[in-house]
Amino acid sequence: MMPTAHRRLLFLFLVMLSVASIAGAAATGSVTLNWNQWTTALTNPGSEYGELVWRLRIPRATAAWAVGALLSLSGCLMQVLLRNPLADPYILGVSGGASFAALLGMTLGVASAYLPALAWTGALVSILIVFSLARGDGPWSGTRLLLTGVVTASGWAALISLLLTLGPDSSLRGMLFWLIGDLSYASLPSWALATLALIFVICFGMARSLNVLAMGETTARLLGEPTQKLLWIVYLMASVLTATAVSIAGNIGFVGLIVPHLMRLIVGSDHRVLLPAAGLFGGLFLVLSDTLARTVLAPRQLPVGVVTALLGVPLFLLLLNKAKVRQ
Amino acid sequence: MSSFSCENLEVRIADITVVRDLDLDLARGEFWGLLGPNGIGKTTLLKCLAGLTPPTAGRVLLESRDIAELPRKMLARHIGMLQQHTVYVFDSSVMQTALTGRHPHLSYWDREGPGDLRKADEALHTVDLDGFADRSVTELSGGEARRLAFAALLVQEPEIMLLDEPTNHLDLRHQVQIMGMIRDRTKHDGNSAFAALHDINLAARYCSHVLMLFGNGDWRAGRCEDMLSESSLEKLYRCPVEMIQGRDGARFYPAGD
Repeated sequence: MMPTAHRRLLFLFLVMLSVASIAGAAATGSVTLNWNQWTTALTNPGSEYGELVWRLRIPRATAAWAVGALLSLSGCLMQVLLRNPLADPYILGVSGGASFAALLGMTLGVASAYLPALAWTGALVSILIVFSLARGDGPWSGTRLLLTGVVTASGWAALISLLLTLGPDSSLRGMLFWLIGDLSYASLPSWALATLALIFVICFGMARSLNVLAMGETTARLLGEPTQKLLWIVYLMASVLTATAVSIAGNIGFVGLIVPHLMRLIVGSDHRVLLPAAGLFGGLFLVLSDTLARTVLAPRQLPVGVVTALLGVPLFLLLLNKAKVRQ
Repeated sequence: MSSFSCENLEVRIADITVVRDLDLDLARGEFWGLLGPNGIGKTTLLKCLAGLTPPTAGRVLLESRDIAELPRKMLARHIGMLQQHTVYVFDSSVMQTALTGRHPHLSYWDREGPGDLRKADEALHTVDLDGFADRSVTELSGGEARRLAFAALLVQEPEIMLLDEPTNHLDLRHQVQIMGMIRDRTKHDGNSAFAALHDINLAARYCSHVLMLFGNGDWRAGRCEDMLSESSLEKLYRCPVEMIQGRDGARFYPAGD
């Protein structure tokens, strides 16, 4: 276990970095602000660049932070739920349902403002399908849930390919950006922040139960956990987190898989430390990735999902390698 | 202190009937050994007694209440079980794993306090894992992992201990040490224990009672000295057994052809 003092320092550090990254994102972009312009814009929303900073960049950076935190928390929960370190937020088909609904909307020419609601509905349908089928006649079990979810996800993937094949060429680019994950049009609805806050509080409170569940269903039951109830609560929490993230920004890959792993390597597997650390770092990581996505090839904007993978893969391999050497 | 018993218990798994009409009373201070050949259903019976799987018929009673109706958390404060295997998918420290034994004693938002840490420290000390607290569970040897699992069970402080082959992977000294600890916990502290064992001589030396499973639901139970004999063990394992008289009682070994 990490000593309490180290833990506090780490959280303080991650919170400060998160705020700094959002403030930094406000200064960078197609128009890069110098120090004076930046401070005036931050303190005075009515000034020349105030509009740019407060109406465009900060909402987008905050949305990026929230999506990163949502995906990372969801990844932590999915990995415990399935007792599989390879699980990510998308493994059980939530994002498949969301993407299918959103892409269908694009094909039919639905206004982009309605896409998040549509995606959320698709995710909900997928959650309900997996939830009702995974149980079957027997008790809930991680293996059954995994199989049902993975197969449902493949079903959605097939439907998505069908839409991509049949859809009009004009909407292909939008569809592709959605599938890779993109924050260009992202805004941060307050319900998303509320969802993040609420689920974080609940799962942080259950952190000790998650630790026990990570040791296996039988062990968890022997230690007093009603695992049937626990499994579906964790499933619902992870799914709602994913659905919220996906409806804002599409299928941003890698964050939800890599951040929980990175944090496990750094802070250990006690969920009381892991959950807040992964949430904060996930947010920070996505703000940085999105700022790069906006600026590297400016004025062209890349979908952020490309950057998360390009940054995440080497970072992860490096840390994994270091961890092995230490052992 | 809790009383633990079963009534007309019938346990089946697939086509195998493990026990039929089993009546057993695990009184305070008793250490039961569960003997039987491979695949006869020892683990299945233990799981049923722990409330992990429901019996086909009959009831398991904790203080004359059916355990099927008790909340898991309450059960976990009274009944603890050492499983046959422990597999760690996620890395964790030895200390953190030992502390999981406190889980049923803490509520939703609680953190482990100094008292809990002390209990975990003591348990690690009793199983000879001093200085292992910060080690990763994935680096432990089979025997060390086994002793850690036993330490977590000690930390849980259940009055009824169910143990599935507690001496698996242990060297001679640690086999004797752990069996001795279980016996002391039952003798002096008024707890009870029920352990599936393959070593007849450990059963003969440490257990007060044995339950033998013969297959087809047949069973016999009683005090060790009444139960363990060449003929009963030959019938149980279908293998010739010879008895010799050791310094501290009868000992058994497989006889030659």
